[in-house]
Amino acid sequence: MKNLMRCVLGAGILPLVLAVRLCADTPPPGQVDFGTFKAPSGGGQFVEVNVTGSLISLATKFLEKDQPDAAQILKGLQSVRVNVIGLTDENRSDIEARVQGVRKDLEAKGWERIVKVQDNGQDVGVYLKTQNKDTVQGLVVVVIDGGKEAVFVNVVGDIKPEQLSMLGEKLHIDPLRKIGHEVEKAEPAPEKP
Amino acid sequence: MDAPDRSETAVPAFRLGVILLGGIVVAFVIAVVGITSYFRLSPETAILRESAMGNVRGTWNTKIALNVGVLTTSLVRAGTHLFKLAPEPQAAFDAIRAAEVGIYKVSEDAGWVDHRAILARADKSMSARRWDRVVGVSQENQLVAVYVPRRELSAQRIKCCVLVLQGKDLIVVGATGNLNPLLEIAGKNFDFKDATQHFALR
Repeated sequence: MKNLMRCVLGAGILPLVLAVRLCADTPPPGQVDFGTFKAPSGGGQFVEVNVTGSLISLATKFLEKDQPDAAQILKGLQSVRVNVIGLTDENRSDIEARVQGVRKDLEAKGWERIVKVQDNGQDVGVYLKTQNKDTVQGLVVVVIDGGKEAVFVNVVGDIKPEQLSMLGEKLHIDPLRKIGHEVEKAEPAPEKP
Repeated sequence: MDAPDRSETAVPAFRLGVILLGGIVVAFVIAVVGITSYFRLSPETAILRESAMGNVRGTWNTKIALNVGVLTTSLVRAGTHLFKLAPEPQAAFDAIRAAEVGIYKVSEDAGWVDHRAILARADKSMSARRWDRVVGVSQENQLVAVYVPRRELSAQRIKCCVLVLQGKDLIVVGATGNLNPLLEIAGKNFDFKDATQHFALR
């Protein structure tokens, strides 16, 4: 009888444990894996900022008393990742292919392209992942700036493109602040028919 | 009345001697470990140092390696409460839980420094200890990397390790602190709105 009870309990608990583990391993829908970037050889520019949930909640505590609006935005975020890679002869083709790959992948996965700018060697794409058209789950900005550098930004959580520069300022991530200003200036992409 | 047996009194005296000797040895070992710990970096900071040193050819010279642990900072903190310090330095003492710094210089014959290899090695080793890199900046001959633990991060207990490589100089820093006293003093004395503009994650 005892053995039977153990088997029943085990059969009940095991799927629960597996489900919890699976949930823990599944990345949030707004998260995009850009892959690993390596610093260009020969001293090219390389910036990587990866602000995790625990750091965001810490920053929220700093702000919530005196800047509740900013804290409210941070509260809705799970992570912020920014990569800036200087383009050299060695990595240019690889990075450009990576940019195209990320864009294709996002469109295939149902991300909505909300901004597209191709002007003066600058190529900006802003993508949004939404749930039921109301809740933003994530935002991606992919930029190739005049063949000099490539920028990849992924903000996981509820964020609007016009809040990017503010987020860059609050977290003191300069590339994010600059990209935010570029996005604010850019025209929205035409709606798909 | 019988006189006490001499062999019976000799045994406790011998035991007392052994205990005393043991105590002295233990105290000596603790003192040695304690003193040397001031000059030994924590495993995480040591990993950053090794990641840089292992990827640069040349001879490294130690300029300074100092580690002030929890015990020392607690004693200092307790000591500062005996005096009437101004609130700002008192908050600084209250905030620091542990701090360590290592400064090294590589010889002039060191060749080109591969920042990629340093970051890759540090990332791998730190990740195995459940630390993540939150910032990595590489430009020309400068490299900065900041690591924080994946968990156990709160205002009460914040930890971080930083690697700075600039030319021939390597600096590794580790710190553990409690931000609450600083936040409290900042909230009282400063225009917090402006101060948080510069909350720097990079």
